[in-house]
Amino acid sequence: MRAGALAAVAALALSACSGGGPDGGGGPGGGEVSYADTPATGGTVTLLQNADFSYLDPARGFDGGVNNFYRLVYRTLTTSAPGDSDDPSAVVPDLATDLGTPSEDGLSWTFTLKEGITFEDGQPITSADVRFGVSRSWDPELGIGSPWARQVIDAPEDYEGPYRSGPLETIETPDERTVVFHLKEPFPEFGSLVAQPNFVPFPEGSGAGDEFVGDIIASGPYTLDSYTPGSSIELVRNEAWDPETDDVRPAYPDRWNIVIGLDPATIDERLLAGQGADVNAFGLTIQPATLPRVQTPQLERRLLELPSVCLTYMGMNTTKEPFDDVRVRQAVNLAVDKAAVRTASGGTQLAELASTILPPTVGGHRDYDLYPSEGDAGDVEAARALLEEAGVGDGFTMTLDIRSQPKMQAQAEAIQQALQKIGVTVELNVIDVSSYYETIGTTALQHDAAITGWCPDWASSASTFLPPLFDGRTITEVGNSNLAQIDDEGINARIDEIRAMTDLAAANEQWGQLDEEIMELAPVVPLVFESSLALPGENLTGLHSSPGAASGGIDLVLVGLRDPERG
Amino acid sequence: MARFLVSRLAGVVLILLLVCLFTFGVFFVLSPDPAVQICGKNCTPELIERIRDNLGLDEPLLTQFLTFVSGLFAGRTYGVGESATHCAAPCLGYSFQSSQPVWEMITDRLPVSVTVAVGAAVLWLLVGVVGGLVGALKRGTWWDRSAMVVALAGISIPNYVFALLLQYVLVVELEWLPFPQAVPFSEDPTRWFQNYLMPWIVLAFAYASVYARLTRANVIDTLEENYVRTARAKGLPGRLVIRRHALRPALTPVVTIFGMDFAGLLGGALITETVFGLNGVGKMTADSIARNDQPVIMGVTLLAAAFVVVGNVVVDLVYTALDPRVRVRSA
Repeated sequence: MRAGALAAVAALALSACSGGGPDGGGGPGGGEVSYADTPATGGTVTLLQNADFSYLDPARGFDGGVNNFYRLVYRTLTTSAPGDSDDPSAVVPDLATDLGTPSEDGLSWTFTLKEGITFEDGQPITSADVRFGVSRSWDPELGIGSPWARQVIDAPEDYEGPYRSGPLETIETPDERTVVFHLKEPFPEFGSLVAQPNFVPFPEGSGAGDEFVGDIIASGPYTLDSYTPGSSIELVRNEAWDPETDDVRPAYPDRWNIVIGLDPATIDERLLAGQGADVNAFGLTIQPATLPRVQTPQLERRLLELPSVCLTYMGMNTTKEPFDDVRVRQAVNLAVDKAAVRTASGGTQLAELASTILPPTVGGHRDYDLYPSEGDAGDVEAARALLEEAGVGDGFTMTLDIRSQPKMQAQAEAIQQALQKIGVTVELNVIDVSSYYETIGTTALQHDAAITGWCPDWASSASTFLPPLFDGRTITEVGNSNLAQIDDEGINARIDEIRAMTDLAAANEQWGQLDEEIMELAPVVPLVFESSLALPGENLTGLHSSPGAASGGIDLVLVGLRDPERG
Repeated sequence: MARFLVSRLAGVVLILLLVCLFTFGVFFVLSPDPAVQICGKNCTPELIERIRDNLGLDEPLLTQFLTFVSGLFAGRTYGVGESATHCAAPCLGYSFQSSQPVWEMITDRLPVSVTVAVGAAVLWLLVGVVGGLVGALKRGTWWDRSAMVVALAGISIPNYVFALLLQYVLVVELEWLPFPQAVPFSEDPTRWFQNYLMPWIVLAFAYASVYARLTRANVIDTLEENYVRTARAKGLPGRLVIRRHALRPALTPVVTIFGMDFAGLLGGALITETVFGLNGVGKMTADSIARNDQPVIMGVTLLAAAFVVVGNVVVDLVYTALDPRVRVRSA
C-alpha cells in the first residue's frame, strides 16, 4: 500500500505507517485512561488532521489514512476485522455472507450478498452494483487506487472500465445476490483481496468523470453532510444503513466532524489543552517533538500507544559491489547499532527493534534474530571477520539514499557511525521529500543503499509484504519496490509455492519461514517497527488500533464518546 | 491617459505570459515525473503509462504548453466518451493529488486569503502609519524609541515563531481566544472574528514595522524640506503644515509599497495561513509544493503574478492622482 511509501501523504503516512496491535486500549497500569471501554451512542466526534484525505472515490484512493476513513462511509464484500476483535489482523465478511467460495480449480470465486444491504437512498445493493463498482478500477482515469483487482481478476486486454467498455464480462451476476469473479490465476487469498477499497459497490452508471471528487454514495453507517476540500468533512448518519447487516461497525457517534488543514503543532497544542469541545477530539498521532511535554502524570495517562504494522529498513542494492556478496550484507546487518537507530527514531516509546522483516502484527510473523549482538549495539568483531572473508577487510565507501527529514537523517547518522567501526564510510545522499520514493524506485538512480518503509496491503498474511520487496521478477525500471534488487531463484520459487497454498494458516507459517530464509541472504537490514502515540480527548473511548484497516492506527469505525452530552 | 493605460495593460499580458512560460518550464520540465508520484507504491509500468496518457504527459512539451495556454482561454476536455470531463475556461487543469479543478480550488479559497489580507492591511496601515508619524513628530522621545524597538522586533522575529508564540500565550495560557477553526461569518460572526484575529495581528506586526519605519523616515525628511519651512514661516498652524504639506508627499512611497504588499498578500500568506490552519490560497500553495502538485502550483503562481502585476498598475494610477508631478509627466 502506498501509505508508507508516498510522500504526498506524509502527514497521514506518519500515522498510517505506525501502530498496530491486538489491543490499542490503555494498558493494565493503574490510573491510565482506558480507551477500551464501550462508547455510548450519540454525540459528535472530532478528528483533527493536517492533511486532507487523498480521494473520496475509493477507486482512486489507496493509503492507510483514507482506507480507514472509507470504512465509515463505504462497505466492501469483506473487510478487516474490527480493531477490538480477537484477531484484528483477520479479514471478515462485510457485504458478503462469508469470505467467498473458490471453485475446484481456484479460478473463480463466488460471493453471496447479505439481505437488507442498501445504498443511502434505500436502493438495495445488488450483485450488478458490486460488479459495476469493481469495474471502475479499469477506467484509465479513475483506476489509480489499489492495483489488486486489475492484477488478479481476469479481464479482456482492452477493457477500460464500465463507462467506456461496458460491464466487465468476467464478473458474473447470475442473480441479484450472487457475484462470481473469474481470475487470471488461482489466488487463495481472494477473500482478503475483496476488502480492498475499490471493491466498494456503486449504483450502475454513477460516478462518471469527476462526480465522486466532491461527493459520495454511501453504503456504510455515515454519509457526507458537507465537504470543504482542505478544510473539513462532516458526516451524518446514513439512515438507510441497517446495523443488523453489519458486524464490523457499531457506529456510536451521530456525527463526525473531521477538521483538515491544521498545523500539526496546533493539533498537539489543542489536544494537550483539551479545552471545551476538544474533550471529544483526537488526532491520529502526536508529533515526536510534543513527546517531552506529555511527560506529566495527567497527560501521560491519556497517552494511547499504537504499535506498528510497518517496517523501517535499509535496503542494500545487491547489483552493486560489494553488496553483491552476501557476506558483506551480513556484515552490515551485524554491525548496525539498532539500539542507536531506535534512539534516533524517538526512543522506546516510538520504536521497537526489528530483527525480522515482518512486524509482529502481520500474519505469519515469527520471532528470530540471525544477527544478534550485545545490547543490540552491533557486533563489530563478527562483522569485521565477514568483511575480511569477503576480501574487503579494509572497508569501503558507500552511498546511502535518505529523505530530507530529520528523523530519517538521524537514523542514517546512527548507521553511519556504526559502520564507521568496521571501516565502512557511509556518504549520505539526502533527497527531497517530494521526490524521494520516485528516485529510489528508479533502478538507474538508486545508490548502494536506501532507508525506507513498507506496510502491508492487508495484515492477515505476508503476501503483500514479502513478494513486493523480494520477488526478483517484479523489479521494474521505475516504481520499483524491490530496493535490494534481489532476484534469487530460491526466493522466487518459494513465493510461488506459498502463494498457491489454499490453507491460509499453513501459508502464514511458511511466510514466517521465508522471512528467515530471506534474511539469511541479508538483502535488507530491518531497523525498527515505528509505533506512534495519540493523545485523545478524555471523553473519547473505543480506541483500538487496526493493523488491517488503518495500518495500525486508530480504527475509526469503533470510536465513540463516553458521554455524548459533554463538550 | 488612455495610451498610458493601454500600454500598461499590454505589458500586463506580456508579463503574465512570460510567468506562464517560466513556471511551466520550472515545474513541468525540471521537477520529478508526476505520473510516478501519483502511481506510488504497488506501481506497475502499465499504470504509469496509463496515468501519463491520461494527463497528457506523453505529448511533446510544446503541445502541453499550448494546450495549457489555450485551456486558459477556451477551456479543455479531458478523457473521452462518457467519462470525459470538460474543464471550462479559465481552465488551469486538475490537481494531480485530489483531481479537483484548480480554478475551483483557487476560487474556493480566495475569500479566506482576501479576508486575511484586508484585515491585516487595515491593521498594519493604521498601526504602521500612526506609529511612524508619532515617531517622526516626537523624534528622540521615549515614544519614538519604544515604537522603533517594537518595529525592529516586528521585522526581525520570523513570522512562524511569532505566530506560535502568540497562539501559545493568547489561547493556551490566557485562554482569551479559542483555537482557530474555520467558521463562516454567517454562522457565528464572533467566532469568525476570533479565528482571524491572530493571523491579522501576526501579518500586521511584520508589515506595520516596515511601514512605521518608512513613514517615520519620510515624514522626517519632508519636515526638513524648504516648502515646509516656508509654510511654517507663513504662519500656518503646525497641524495644518503636517496634514497638508508634509503628510501627502511623505505617504506616496507608502502607497507604492502598500500596493505591492497587499497584492502579494492576496496571492496567499503561506506561513500564517499554514500555522493557523486557514484554508486559503497560501496554505494550498504550501501543500501543493510539498506534494509536488504541479497544476496547482502553476495556478497559484499565475494568480499571484496577476495580482502583483495588476496591483502595480493600480499603484501607478493612484500615484498619478496623488502626485501632480507624475500627472504632468505622463500626460
